Amino acid sequence: MLPLVVVIPIGIAFLISFLGKYYKKLSDILATVACISLAILSFLIFYELRTMNYEPLVYKIGGWLPSIGISMVVDGLTAVMLIVVNVIALISVLFSVSYMEKYTDKWKYYALFMMMLTSMNGLIVTGDIFNMYVFLELGTISSCVLIAFGTEQDELEASFKYMVLGTVASTFILLGIAILYSYYSTLNMSDISLAVSKGSSTIVITFLTLLFVVGFGLKAAIVPFHAWLPDAHPSAPAPISAMLSGVLIKSLGVYALVRILFNVLGVVGSNILIILGVISMVVGGFLAIYQKDLKRMLAYSTVSQVGYIVFAFGLGTPLGIFAGLFHLINHAFAKFLLFLNAGAVVYATDERNMENLGGLREKMPVTAATSLVGSMSISGVPPFGGFWSKLFIILAAVQAKEFTAAVIAILISIITLSYYLKLQKQTFYGKLSERWQDVKEVPLTMCIAMIIPAVICAGLGLLLLPQIKIVFLDPAVGVLANGLEYGSIVLQNIK
Amino acid sequence: MNFITYLIGLPLIGGLLCLLIPKAKEVIAVAISVITFAVSILAFVFPDQASQYFIFDKMSGFVALFISLFGFLIVLYSIKFMQKLSAERKISLTQYYCYVLWTLAASLGAVLSNNLILLLVFWGFLGLTLYLLMQIGASDFQESSAAAKKTFIIIGGSDCFMILGIAIIWFLTGTFQMDKISINFASYNSPSLPVIAFVCLTIAVFAKAGAMPFHTWIPDAASTAPIPITAYLPASLDKLLGIYLLARICLNLFNVSAYQHINVFLMFIGAITIIAAVFMALIQHDLKKMIAYMNISGAGYMVLGIGTNNPVGIAGGLFYMLSTTLWTSCLFLCAGSVECKTGTTDLDKLGGLAKYMPLTFLSSLIAALSISGVPPFNGFFSKWMIYQGLISSLPTSNFQLLTLLFIAAAMFGSALTLASFMKLLHGVFLGQASKHQNIKTSERISEVSWTMWLPQIFLAVLCAIFGVFAIQIPLKYFIFPSLSTSHFPFPAVFSGVWQPGLATLLIIVGIAFGFIFYIISGLKYRISDTYIGGETLPSEVRVTGADFYQTIKDIGFFKTMYSLAEQKMFDIYDWGRKIVSSVGSVLSELHTGNFETYLSWCLIGAGILLLVLVH
Repeated sequence: MLPLVVVIPIGIAFLISFLGKYYKKLSDILATVACISLAILSFLIFYELRTMNYEPLVYKIGGWLPSIGISMVVDGLTAVMLIVVNVIALISVLFSVSYMEKYTDKWKYYALFMMMLTSMNGLIVTGDIFNMYVFLELGTISSCVLIAFGTEQDELEASFKYMVLGTVASTFILLGIAILYSYYSTLNMSDISLAVSKGSSTIVITFLTLLFVVGFGLKAAIVPFHAWLPDAHPSAPAPISAMLSGVLIKSLGVYALVRILFNVLGVVGSNILIILGVISMVVGGFLAIYQKDLKRMLAYSTVSQVGYIVFAFGLGTPLGIFAGLFHLINHAFAKFLLFLNAGAVVYATDERNMENLGGLREKMPVTAATSLVGSMSISGVPPFGGFWSKLFIILAAVQAKEFTAAVIAILISIITLSYYLKLQKQTFYGKLSERWQDVKEVPLTMCIAMIIPAVICAGLGLLLLPQIKIVFLDPAVGVLANGLEYGSIVLQNIK
Repeated sequence: MNFITYLIGLPLIGGLLCLLIPKAKEVIAVAISVITFAVSILAFVFPDQASQYFIFDKMSGFVALFISLFGFLIVLYSIKFMQKLSAERKISLTQYYCYVLWTLAASLGAVLSNNLILLLVFWGFLGLTLYLLMQIGASDFQESSAAAKKTFIIIGGSDCFMILGIAIIWFLTGTFQMDKISINFASYNSPSLPVIAFVCLTIAVFAKAGAMPFHTWIPDAASTAPIPITAYLPASLDKLLGIYLLARICLNLFNVSAYQHINVFLMFIGAITIIAAVFMALIQHDLKKMIAYMNISGAGYMVLGIGTNNPVGIAGGLFYMLSTTLWTSCLFLCAGSVECKTGTTDLDKLGGLAKYMPLTFLSSLIAALSISGVPPFNGFFSKWMIYQGLISSLPTSNFQLLTLLFIAAAMFGSALTLASFMKLLHGVFLGQASKHQNIKTSERISEVSWTMWLPQIFLAVLCAIFGVFAIQIPLKYFIFPSLSTSHFPFPAVFSGVWQPGLATLLIIVGIAFGFIFYIISGLKYRISDTYIGGETLPSEVRVTGADFYQTIKDIGFFKTMYSLAEQKMFDIYDWGRKIVSSVGSVLSELHTGNFETYLSWCLIGAGILLLVLVH
């Protein structure tokens, strides 16, 4: 069952690129069916993991044992990430069906979309660090093309910037992998983890930490490596912006970073992550409030919120990891939703400058209501999901005695609230200008695609109920908190 | 029976019902609020056991009782008022009633919760409902959405500080359960952490209750939101909640007696709030804004009273909280009735309404006399208690001079309050009728319908009863029981003697004597038009009363202060906005879009990281 999460999307991507040109409707259907089955599959994998009492599921490609062959590993963290990514991908396809009508060559879009999904799923389930690098590149390239999909000047420029900076990131990562291989003679993550746990020189680990923090930090858009994001994320078509900010930078960036740092290198929590996280939240927050462009504001907000996530992971305590993971999930759904809302606004008005918008609540009630839910969730207003993760981040920071950082996090959360209220005020509240008298609500499928994540955002707090928390979040936190035990646990399960 | 579940659950479900059955929204809202009020009375008489999550002692009980009373009165008042408003503008009444009921549920939840996290959830949710309510039925879209944004940023921002405060409390004590927390400043070597936690929580309190410097949202909210909402949230529920929490913080969560700086800090905030807000109230031209500033100055008295850390002072602070909510919502409702009938709340355009709206005039008169501290109404008695608290805290205080100044500020503020209400009563109800109000409304001005005057009269009567029978009713049943559980000996010993019953009797006897003399002496009187210098005034040049205190504005010191206030120099929100946008613009300048710059950031960043890691 495990390889299917990679095989399905890549297979569908090929199918669409062969057939999509001739049968217009086919690509819609294929992509939707693929995403539905992937979403179901991710839950099935989670269910299987649960019946196995959270012992990692390992699949050996071609039956080769690790350190020779590539293995796929599913543990608590992987399963959670798979569910988040595939559910969001499904909603995104639903949104695309109507939204992408205005572009030509819709089938190319779907093929690339499926490639991107392949890269994320592959990166999450792989147990081999070089395989991870391959999927990372696949993700970067497909998202580069998707960013440039509109082929306007801005979009091409943004794509170019992303491409070059992405390459810099890849270089750092590849260098790191090369050093790892030269020291431990293996590329399998559990093998490396075991080797590191048996003792290794600090200076090597330190240098590797640096390389991976810079490399994945670029992918995750942590300040000062963030500069490509505010250009790239807004340029893509709305469902892709939503995917990029919602899940791509989290799986390619944050997930890969914490997986390698915590589980492979054994660096559970680090001051560097705390410092970078705090800088990111501050810089992203201040820049977001200054923006006039709707999607650009959301992009800077992503920088700021990823800062919160990295900060919480950087604390390294179980509570911190829990807060980081929970904020990752909350932010994934909320930011995804907000980019869809922005897409809906652009779809209806063809205007991204918030100063020209206003009063759209009357004309687009579904978009306005769902956008309010998303904004309130990220701003941390109870009872939405984001409130809980903000609360846990602060609790974790205070528990870890990072008082200064806690105060900064609090101040920036006020700024977060401010710019989301600015977004609400300038886009949906206020006076409707003459120009938008004929604006209509977006088509039904798009409305549904916005309502689903809104409901999820509102209900994510339920994950904290003890019965659900024990099943869903605690195993994932356990994986990261265990650090280097990852290697021996996974190797036990390879028969 | 578990009353708490009903108290929180009923309005919550009621709100959902309003959304589901829009046709019966008014019926549902009235029914639910009446039932909630009834349940809260029952709950007050037969209190529930405290549990891990909820607490129902005398203090939370009486606050809950008044919250549900206000819920009912406001819903009743809203029926006609909002109907008229929705006829003029496009308003979703369904959402309105839904949010009003949810607000009720969240307020009751916040007051009754015994768990800090639970408190935080309800408390934060109130900010959201206030934001949504302020957007409904706004007179001017642009202005109201700006005011709503400002309100929510201040309220929501203060909630963020509350999270920090709660996190520190949890760090210090390891629990969220309020009745288990007792932090003594003296037991810490360096009390900086508990002090930060205390200040964080008081920031949330100040923003909710509207004490300085977090008060600036109230005048904005008052001038743009529909009146019932102003009377509901900033004027009553937020006051009750804020001061309730302050009392809990000072009495239960923290042991402040060992650390007098905290008391002086609170008293200082209180005194500043009283004086500054009253001065702002003096010069307002808008009825709603004026009441809003009086409301803020009320918050000052409460904080001052609780800050004394003296039994009488704290009891006075709580009593003042109760009284303020009564009279300010009464005044706001009266202002709403005036607006409903004349279409304006501008003092320049109003006048002489007493003739047409006697009930509204009567209730505003009582409320205004109460707020100005005229005996025998409740304002006098509660202020009297706060003064006593201040005076009796003098001997043990290390800051005697400051405390004396605070007493002076409180008394001076009270006098100025009376002055500004002279202006209000004259401008709206007395004086010469204005032409504007007749032009605005084609029909003749008459008294509002009973659903609107009943809440006003009811509140005014409560003001009178709570003043005349202060010791027999509010203090005996509400204030003293809620304090006696803590470390204060109650009933407290008053240092001054004031028997409201006797005094009222004397006042009535005095008036009766005067009346008898008047009849016996057979003086003659005649009714004439208003005149100045023997000339009857045409209504264009009538004395509106709006500029009664213009002279104060021209005195040197006050002139600068007022002009600074007009430039929003005292508005913490405006300061925040300026700072944030300047930092934002600097950072934005750095993002040139120049690709080489970005690349060099990455490499320099990597270099710095390397340095940090190697060290």
